[in-house]
Amino acid sequence: MVDHTADANSVPVGESRRGFLAILAMAGGAVGAATILWPVIDALNPDAGSEAAARPVVTVSDIPENTARQVMWGGLPILIRRLTDKQLADNETVSMDDLPDPASLESRVAPANRHFVVVVGLNTATPCALEGNTPSEPRGDFDGWLCACDGSQYDPLGRARRGPSRRNLPIPRFTFINEAQIQLG
Amino acid sequence: MTTETKQGGPRAATPCLAGLCAGLMRRDLAPGAPWLSTLPVLLGAVLALLLASGMALAVFYDPRAAQASLRFIALEVPAGWIMRGYHVTGAGLGFVLLYVHLFRMLLTRGYRGPAAAGWMLWVTLLAALLLAGWLGFALNGGLGGYWSLIDAISASLALSGPAGGVAMWFFGGAPGDGTLARLLVFHAVLGVAAAGLLWLACAATRQARPAPAGRMVAFWPVYAAQAFAALALLALVFALLMCFAPHWGQGAQSQLPASSLAVPAAVSYPWYLTPLAGLTALFPGAGGHALAVIAAAAALYALPWLDRSGGGAPGGLYRALTWLLGLDVLGLGLSAVCPLAAGLQILLFVWFFIHFLVLTPAVTAMEAA
Repeated sequence: MVDHTADANSVPVGESRRGFLAILAMAGGAVGAATILWPVIDALNPDAGSEAAARPVVTVSDIPENTARQVMWGGLPILIRRLTDKQLADNETVSMDDLPDPASLESRVAPANRHFVVVVGLNTATPCALEGNTPSEPRGDFDGWLCACDGSQYDPLGRARRGPSRRNLPIPRFTFINEAQIQLG
Repeated sequence: MTTETKQGGPRAATPCLAGLCAGLMRRDLAPGAPWLSTLPVLLGAVLALLLASGMALAVFYDPRAAQASLRFIALEVPAGWIMRGYHVTGAGLGFVLLYVHLFRMLLTRGYRGPAAAGWMLWVTLLAALLLAGWLGFALNGGLGGYWSLIDAISASLALSGPAGGVAMWFFGGAPGDGTLARLLVFHAVLGVAAAGLLWLACAATRQARPAPAGRMVAFWPVYAAQAFAALALLALVFALLMCFAPHWGQGAQSQLPASSLAVPAAVSYPWYLTPLAGLTALFPGAGGHALAVIAAAAALYALPWLDRSGGGAPGGLYRALTWLLGLDVLGLGLSAVCPLAAGLQILLFVWFFIHFLVLTPAVTAMEAA
């Protein structure tokens, strides 16, 4: 006959074994339930395509000087322009009194990457696309962007300078994730 | 350690948990219940999985591009193919469990006396799940679902009077861009309602259970272990079906894109809708379909009162006729998949009602005598 007690003070062996089996079963059940439910939780994560579209990464290192690259983001044309040293120096000294919507150089570029301007490429007076992304396109008197529809002119920092437009080009939310790439959104 | 600390803990802090634990430990169950008595537990687990996967699918589902969005879910969403697998296989297995449980209730006369309320709740649950299943078939955006929905809406809107009003309210008028969005809401509401109905049906069945005589056992650990083992077996079958037969019983037209120009000769339904489709096939139009469904539901609801036995175990003849009814329902389902001879189709339909309205009262009265 099996002795079900080790000694007078200990838990009977049968109950101990039963308790162990109950814990084992519950642990197995918990692992099984977690395995089944984890995909449900994982499925609520955004899909890769939406995530990439919502926060696209743009390589800017290959943009030539004095040229802008256009990317579409959230249905808006985003212009990323690499400034020349001369443009930086010229626009740093512009008097705020001459600007319809005063904004300093520091407020228009990222401090650590002053050579890049990122703006929404829609005229703020009449919302149409701007010209001037490449030096061969008409850029107006300020070597920036020009709206061929209403004649609004912007400087290379995207500030309104002449024409019916009274507001600067908006700056979208973006982050330099390294020297060569920015992430929008 | 003080006595207060010993008596504290989660049970003391949450009276509900303490009550649940006490209920699980209460020795008020007869020992030796068959394995098939775990079917409601399994159905509850499948319904929970359907609700969870349905929630995940609803996040990405687009009613205006139903099948394209389901393809997107399967290919692009993290674990999206598993969610579709959970939902499709869960629906199929849920109906297997429900049909087997209802058949077992019929076979054991689990609808009599105080259990009548529980039986009616089970029949209501069947009706709710059949409607939810049909809506899911339509929401799939396949060719079969599309034409089943178009036929149902067109025929329903031709109804006059209160029935036409109800159809107009349910479908939101003629089929259009918003129809599937509307039906998606009803599909989700029916899913949640089914979970509530299951809980009510189980509670009603438990209340009607006669007090066991002799030695009694608690749910924990005896029946908990049984339910656990049954759930493990269900999970195994579920995984095998989901991975090796993901389109099992779905109907060939479910995989074809919906098209207003491709009209199928006959809609192929998922297997769990085929008995209902077989029952309604003889009557043309929405009015005829509705009449057949209402008549079948009425026969099932009235069963506790059609049974004339005073009590006791079901006799051999009654059991044989119940098995015959099971075959009849299978035949009705088969008739919706492949056309049968008209005479056989009528016989299957008529036998369903003869069983409940004639044979059940006669045989149960005879066996009671």
